[in-house]
Amino acid sequence: MSRVAGRTDWAEEEDEDSLQLPQQQIIKNKDGTETIITYSIREDGKKVKTTRRIKKTVIKQIVNPRVAERKHWEKFGSDKGKPPGPQTDTTSVAENIVFRPVSNWKASTEDKNETEKKKASLKEAKIKCRICSGDHFTTKCPFKDTMAPEGEATPADMPDDAPQVGAAGAGSGSYVPPHLRGRGGAGEKMGGKFDRDDSATLRVTNVSEFAEEQDLRDMFSRYGHVTRVFLAKDRETGRAKGFAFVSYADRTDAARACEKMDGYGFGHLILRVEFAKKPN
Amino acid sequence: MRPILLSGHERALTQVKYNPDGDIIFSVSKDHVVCAWFSHNGERLGTYHGHQGALWTVDVDPTSSLLATGGADNTMRLWEVKTGKLLKTWEFATSIKRVEFSSDGKLLLGVTEKRSGHLSTIVVYEINPDPAAEQTDEQALRIVCDESKATVAGFSYLSHYIISGHEDGSVSQWDAKTGELLFSTQVHEDDMQITDLQWAPDRTYFITASKDKTAKLVAADSLDVLKSYPTDTPLNSAAITPVKDYVILGGGQAAMDVTTTSARQGKFEARFYHKIFMEEIGRVRGHFGPLNYVAVHPQGLGYCSGGEDGYVRVHHFDKPYFDFMYEVEREQAQAQANL
Repeated sequence: MSRVAGRTDWAEEEDEDSLQLPQQQIIKNKDGTETIITYSIREDGKKVKTTRRIKKTVIKQIVNPRVAERKHWEKFGSDKGKPPGPQTDTTSVAENIVFRPVSNWKASTEDKNETEKKKASLKEAKIKCRICSGDHFTTKCPFKDTMAPEGEATPADMPDDAPQVGAAGAGSGSYVPPHLRGRGGAGEKMGGKFDRDDSATLRVTNVSEFAEEQDLRDMFSRYGHVTRVFLAKDRETGRAKGFAFVSYADRTDAARACEKMDGYGFGHLILRVEFAKKPN
Repeated sequence: MRPILLSGHERALTQVKYNPDGDIIFSVSKDHVVCAWFSHNGERLGTYHGHQGALWTVDVDPTSSLLATGGADNTMRLWEVKTGKLLKTWEFATSIKRVEFSSDGKLLLGVTEKRSGHLSTIVVYEINPDPAAEQTDEQALRIVCDESKATVAGFSYLSHYIISGHEDGSVSQWDAKTGELLFSTQVHEDDMQITDLQWAPDRTYFITASKDKTAKLVAADSLDVLKSYPTDTPLNSAAITPVKDYVILGGGQAAMDVTTTSARQGKFEARFYHKIFMEEIGRVRGHFGPLNYVAVHPQGLGYCSGGEDGYVRVHHFDKPYFDFMYEVEREQAQAQANL
């Protein structure tokens, strides 16, 4: 890039550079093509010479005269006075779609793959009923009304605040109906209103990690006045950890909720609801 | 193919139509405005203002000079295509669900909605094709549908019959001169509304779409069901493609359930079926609401669809569309070429 000597004003620099650019050249070649040479300055300040060779061909297209006439119609209505050509606010081009007709087309392959994958993953995951060990969900078990879960004492024999081994929802410690709960020798509970009355508190496990407290409140307040909902959340991710506590004002409401909501499908999971146990 | 997305409407589209030369698309939506677009590049030619309610239907006359619309403001209106000028307003007791010109453009048909105290009717007006002329207020014909309300209607070839589709899934054939009921038959399942009726280019047969998840090809003369296209979703529209023997069906989850279904489950795709073999050959997705109407370019070069999502998508078919043939078709084409 040549610079004019003795130049003092920096503001003129750009202008002078552009002035330095040679004119566009158009050369007509013998074979009917044209060579166009243009010069431009790139962003990094370098001068660029562009040589393009163009062949012009005239394509004759026969158009319907009515269509041709309509192309020159003035715009009207909301588009009155707008320049010709598509306007960006009303017209855009969508992403490319591959459309290839095929015989014996079936619900497009990718759709199928996804549903099939889901099905396969469900098949792999073994479903085992806690009552009869069949391959269905416990809630769907034909014996769920008549039989207690396998390997567990009947609810009547099991005091509700007996220390439980194993993590929450690990398959042990199933629901004990409240009317049976007091009889198992745990009568002191009814009177024990010292710190917080946990007798009407339900422990809800297997909660979807996308659940919100309000969702649970909405679901559980169907059965009575809910005084407290606590949903354990991961401090870092803010997602639910999978369990929650719901307290009712009235224990009978809690019992009803417990009965109805156990096995209720929420999100993609099946809720497990039981009465909360006193911390020992 | 790269669809052109027309986003000039603020609410759900109700009908889209090509003019007979296929260079202009007219679209109506629930937002009270009619839009005209150039089909080749999606440029908006103009808008037609005047309606006071949601628009249900639009049709253009064969010379592309007059445009008829009908809507929920109980009026049927006639516009000059070129300027957007309102030429005539016909008022009714109930809303207009469908308008259609006869193939010569001399007659205009309107279907009125059934509402308390008013039965559904099909009215016919004689139209003066000159935009400058005064249009008549006098109804050339008035058909009252007392059994089941008419949802769609159209003129058959030579304006011989008026064919109407009804809420109960039946199709009726009326004499277009006298208004006499000639024949009526149950084409679709009982109480499954017929949502669309579109003609083959020669108007000797038509396709109906219904909420019973099927589309049927029906002969105008005998009302025999020629072909049936079963799908897995309620249909809102069906169109017959010229040039290639396909039909395009559009539908999807009911509008009220849209927000609760994903685009994939909602089946918001245009389905292509082979007209003769009744077999699905492909789908085109893109809308994120049910398709309310599909219209095919009269020369078979493309199609456009109007969706509940408020967009019109204009598609220009590319080579694979025209090349596709069944084995038998290919053999036949070859045999003909060898002759």
